[in-house]
Amino acid sequence: MSVKYIPVQWNPNKWVYDAVLIVMMVIYLWVFLMLAPDRLDHERVINPQINAMRAFGSCAFLMLTVILCLGPLARLDRRFLPLVYNRRHFGVLTLIVALSHLAFVLDWYYAFSPTAPLEGLLSANTSFTRTLGFPFEMLGLFALVVLFVMAVTSHDFWLKFLTPRIWKRLHFLIYPAYAAVVGHVALGALQDQTNMVFAAVTLVSACLVGGLHLAAVILDKPAPAASGDWVSVAAVESFEDGRAKIVELGDGERAAVFRMGRDLAAISNACAHQNGPLGEGRIIDGCVTCPWHGFQYRLFDGRSPEPFTEKVPTYGLRMHNGMVELNRVANPPGTPTDPISLPEDVA
Amino acid sequence: MTASFVLTLGEYWLWIGALVAVVFLTIGIDRIDEDARGAYIFRVLLVPGVLAIWPLVLMRWFTLETGRDAWRGRHTTERHIHAGCWWVLAIALPLIVLGGLALKQNWPDDFTPVRIGDAQ
Repeated sequence: MSVKYIPVQWNPNKWVYDAVLIVMMVIYLWVFLMLAPDRLDHERVINPQINAMRAFGSCAFLMLTVILCLGPLARLDRRFLPLVYNRRHFGVLTLIVALSHLAFVLDWYYAFSPTAPLEGLLSANTSFTRTLGFPFEMLGLFALVVLFVMAVTSHDFWLKFLTPRIWKRLHFLIYPAYAAVVGHVALGALQDQTNMVFAAVTLVSACLVGGLHLAAVILDKPAPAASGDWVSVAAVESFEDGRAKIVELGDGERAAVFRMGRDLAAISNACAHQNGPLGEGRIIDGCVTCPWHGFQYRLFDGRSPEPFTEKVPTYGLRMHNGMVELNRVANPPGTPTDPISLPEDVA
Repeated sequence: MTASFVLTLGEYWLWIGALVAVVFLTIGIDRIDEDARGAYIFRVLLVPGVLAIWPLVLMRWFTLETGRDAWRGRHTTERHIHAGCWWVLAIALPLIVLGGLALKQNWPDDFTPVRIGDAQ
């Protein structure tokens, strides 16, 4: 959470998370470089430079695959939520591995010519109209540029400055970038291998990323938006203490109606940090706590406890014929609202 | 459009970005974000970001300076476009891999490579 920006927000959990990431990455590279050359069965004999290039390239591809799977996995099963927690470090590490891949490429294929390596990369193959022989290097370069932009705009400052909406649009580019990486692999490395293991890994990765996103969006469907200012949320007795019910308001807007003790109140479902789903969080220490990164808001005014300064919109509630209804017109962020109390006969 | 032209454009982009970074990170950031006041080390981490997306930085800086920032936009997600995107993704990704494998040309079984030096 904000107050004053610091370069990197570390804590013991993040140290462990990053350490595990680095160890797994090193093990993968070690296995690929030291144990795998004889088993990869390339059509042509490859040298250590090309082997290193493929080790780092395949590592970056698999890391990106895991990163993209974490989001939908966490929506399908809450036990994956802690893995989403430090995903930005995962992304930065992936960029470093991908840049190493590029360095090996430039230092081998483009290092022995009077043309500058980057200029050589851009001009060596321009057969954009061909399918077989398509300049797959450009697909990788596009993905690398996207990864770079995402990594350098991953600090919390950018979220606040750009707004979560613009920031997310920018970071949505990771999906076309992933498709480009899959194309880069399919038209590049896979064309040169008789061993089908990596082809199978690539296909499974592509199916996992696509399938998990699809499953998450199909299973994540709250009640449809109704017309009029007041939207029916749920029966009065159905609210669980410390938890929320999420209501769809149309145009992508959602509200979360929480029960705290005998009171009900509603705030925006989108966290001010990264638009995390507040309604999937719970009330901890009297505050609604975002399940993604732990940002907290007071339920009755949508403000983070001091000294933090984040705010989310609040909504008015009423009870009507045994149902809780929500006024779809949001109050400006941080506006205090009067909670409604549950009737005596509700447990 | 030649490769050298693209690289020259990239160079100009970075030089303009550097200029924007100097002005924004020394003057602008304090004016539009209270959390940045008195915090200096983290600004070094922002330099590559400003170099990369300086037009967006200038646009947002102008919006915040002139008080045109709409609070509602900060809290509205664009989930409605997700379903369509995920369908495209789920279909396109496997097709790309299978397409690449279908194009793959294998070395002919009945052909033995001959070293040119030996053939002469």
